[in-house]
Amino acid sequence: MWQVPESELRVLGGMAGKDILELGCGAAQWSILLAGLGACPIGLDNSARQLEHAREALAVAGLDFPLVHAPAEAVPLPDASFDIVFADHGANRFADPYAWVPEAARLLRRGGLLAFSGSTPFEVMCWNEPAERMEAELHLDYFGMHRIEDADGPVQFELPYGEWIRLFRASGFEIEELREIKPPPGAVSTYRTVEETEWARKWPMEQIWIVRREA
Amino acid sequence: MSHVERNRNVWTEFAPEFAEWAPGAWADEFEWGVWHVPESELGALPDVAGMDTIELGCGTAYISSWLARRGARPVGVDITPAQLETARRMQAEFGLEFPLLEASAEDVPLRDESFDLAISEYGASIWADPYRWIPEAARLLRPGGHLVFLVNGTIMILCSPDEELPAGRELLRPYFGMDRFVWDDTGGVEFHLGYGDWIRLLRENGFQVENLIEIQAPPEGEPHRYPGLPDREWSRRWPSEEIWVARKRA
Repeated sequence: MWQVPESELRVLGGMAGKDILELGCGAAQWSILLAGLGACPIGLDNSARQLEHAREALAVAGLDFPLVHAPAEAVPLPDASFDIVFADHGANRFADPYAWVPEAARLLRRGGLLAFSGSTPFEVMCWNEPAERMEAELHLDYFGMHRIEDADGPVQFELPYGEWIRLFRASGFEIEELREIKPPPGAVSTYRTVEETEWARKWPMEQIWIVRREA
Repeated sequence: MSHVERNRNVWTEFAPEFAEWAPGAWADEFEWGVWHVPESELGALPDVAGMDTIELGCGTAYISSWLARRGARPVGVDITPAQLETARRMQAEFGLEFPLLEASAEDVPLRDESFDLAISEYGASIWADPYRWIPEAARLLRPGGHLVFLVNGTIMILCSPDEELPAGRELLRPYFGMDRFVWDDTGGVEFHLGYGDWIRLLRENGFQVENLIEIQAPPEGEPHRYPGLPDREWSRRWPSEEIWVARKRA
């Protein structure tokens, strides 16, 4: 959300020749970037409109890689066909983790990497829904966190830390890292207000899980 | 004064109270934390029969007594002589002998790779520096060995005031930079890390993270006896205790 560069985080590693699946690719900015680094990406999105934007962007970039219209819970692609599956505030936020994480495990080769950035339990707990703002106060319960339905927004998913860990292990992943993002000094976000960015300097509002399919 | 000395002083003061509770604790079944959740419900432990176990910050060593009754060969280490004295008295009373050692979990005078399980419940897990005791636990464990430790809930720590009062709903301190905490009431030094920091520390020391069991207070039961910890209602909604389960890579 604060556009921390991958060159700083180095989550994904070397790209050349890697088969990569982006879950919830939107207009495919990420996959286009990765293709430029020599990777072989496939972009997946559940929105036909988003994929239209992606097709236009591909044409502009002079690139051609597959775009798949499907939900992350049921991907019409063969087992063990990717080295990396990733999402950047993508399908991981809008698909049920109990369905999409095992699906990601199926799609990955042994030793393959799953990395995704999204919301955090802190953000979910501290959202004051009636006032529509982040607060330094627990509003929502931690236990039972799963499906989050706001009055107007789409259904989103977030899990307690222990639930994520058990889901990864049960799906055959080793847990490598949980990177909690603190906005860098002076960072501005087009997604977040100044107050929210201040909040996020104290408590994690964005995190990246990095897990690896067992060899 | 180092955190070890400060914590030895604090625990020397606490010791008489814990001596009173020790017979009850030794007589109990294996239960975790202030809500007495049975191990049979949580499944944090492997089958410990025949295992060499080390309890880091054992206090009155009731955890080790439970492990002994399940067929383990326990060793308990603690920095506070008064607590170890109670543990020795309980050993005599319950006819259950195992080695007890006065030592810090950050520097244990025992051989590399001599244990199958390292365990800590409100022991070294919160009173010792994790950047010292986790590497030490890794050294003491055999390849494939288990590390299981209970700590205060991370969210609870963020919502706990400096005075000895239970956590409310307000986040009173930042998450980023969590590490060392000195509380007003006792002057004791505790260590509490964020989730990502725990995972990094465990990984860097050769552990595979297996589980994080966040304890939810059961719906009914006796209240706990700790004025600084949140009540059942709070602890039904947010975790007051967390058990990390990790395994040293083979």
